Amino acid sequence: MKKYVFVLGMCLMFLTGCVCPPKDPEALRVYEETNDPLEPFNRSMFAFNMAVDNLVLEPVAKGYRAVTPQIARTGVKNFFKNLKQPVYFANAVFQLEGQQALSIAGRFFANTLFGFFGFADTASDLDIPVYEPDFGQTLYVWGVKEAGPYLVLPVLGPSSPREAVGWGVDSVMAPLDWALKGEPVLLYSKFAVESFSKREGALEFLDSLEKGSTDFYATMRSMYRQNRKNKLENSNVIIGYDQVVQKKEYEFDFPIDDEFEEE
Amino acid sequence: MKKLLSLVLGLLMSVSVQAAEPSIMFVNNLTDDIITNVLETTDTQEEKFARFKSAFEKALDMKSIGQFVLGVYWRKATAEERQAFLNAFIDFTTKTWADRFDLYTGQQIVFSGSRNAEGKNQLYVDSTIENNPPVSVIWRLKQTKSGDFKIIDIIVEGVSMAMSYRNEYSAFLQKNGGKLSVLTKELEQKSANFSFTKK
Repeated sequence: MKKYVFVLGMCLMFLTGCVCPPKDPEALRVYEETNDPLEPFNRSMFAFNMAVDNLVLEPVAKGYRAVTPQIARTGVKNFFKNLKQPVYFANAVFQLEGQQALSIAGRFFANTLFGFFGFADTASDLDIPVYEPDFGQTLYVWGVKEAGPYLVLPVLGPSSPREAVGWGVDSVMAPLDWALKGEPVLLYSKFAVESFSKREGALEFLDSLEKGSTDFYATMRSMYRQNRKNKLENSNVIIGYDQVVQKKEYEFDFPIDDEFEEE
Repeated sequence: MKKLLSLVLGLLMSVSVQAAEPSIMFVNNLTDDIITNVLETTDTQEEKFARFKSAFEKALDMKSIGQFVLGVYWRKATAEERQAFLNAFIDFTTKTWADRFDLYTGQQIVFSGSRNAEGKNQLYVDSTIENNPPVSVIWRLKQTKSGDFKIIDIIVEGVSMAMSYRNEYSAFLQKNGGKLSVLTKELEQKSANFSFTKK
């Protein structure tokens, strides 16, 4: 299934073609800043994803919220987060981040053994820091510094060639998915419930983002890029129970013409 | 008793931090003001919005932000076009931000320090919203000649508001032949048709 989607995506990409770099220097700067040569393809994929979201994900997420109490939803969210810890652990090891690996392992055991198989976040009560290294980040640490052009994947959403590969490797490494290999119904149910749980958590955020945007595609692209860059450059970010410590400085030039400084 | 003691200690500590760092005090006063006078009041949405908007306009350097957000389009625009854009931009942005006041459930902001930013008279104030998971918020400030501070950017989890608007508007303007008046009109229209989300 995944293979077909990928092949279909590739075909679409070549059919819709690329945008050629503009000649005007200012337009060229914007073109490089957005790094989105596949924009026509990406925009149609984005429209497709929005349609799927409007028809399925959002209504189901709203229904899910209507029929469940907050405490149950938090439990489900915790449960899925806990399932991801082995993958995070592997990536921490790949990146030779010993302290991160220990924290992740500690988190996984605390929540699995004392948190009802991960439904309760006991680890946060114990102040065990949160680390979520993924394989896209591992590739970055290994030297793949360029993410490649922006890429909107069907259903999965904003990505890039490096991040798409990372996602693939991470999903192959997920232990529960291995265990469910022979049970496609269970495997897809897990994927579905996880998606609805995630979408429920983002209902207000995505809603107000779309409401406040003149070009939702461009807003999502910008936010995805910035957030991803931050995660990669702050790979050692310590998320304690109540404090985030940025290790690397946030950087971009904020040029202000002198004409305003006189006022 | 223990609670009282930690409260007193906490107050003393926050006072000493504030005394040392006027930039942190500036942001802290602003967030305190918004938490007590906007987020935690039971006033109507309209009253909250009016108070939020006036605090927003006082604390943010909208001219610098507008200049950064529009980039080359700002340089090309006339003074009237710039002002019209700024008015529409402020109007619409404050409305979208005010739309989700109901999401606030008592989270506190902890300030961890300030540092210099690249650019003349610019600095960052680092803070964290206590939540699970916690949220990193970095305030980018500009110090004016008279020593006052103004906010020129807010960076949440590595996502800069100014950069996001810049990328969004340059995409919009590119699609619309680079005409600033079209963007201004779009923002005015969106702002006029805006209805606050019911809880």
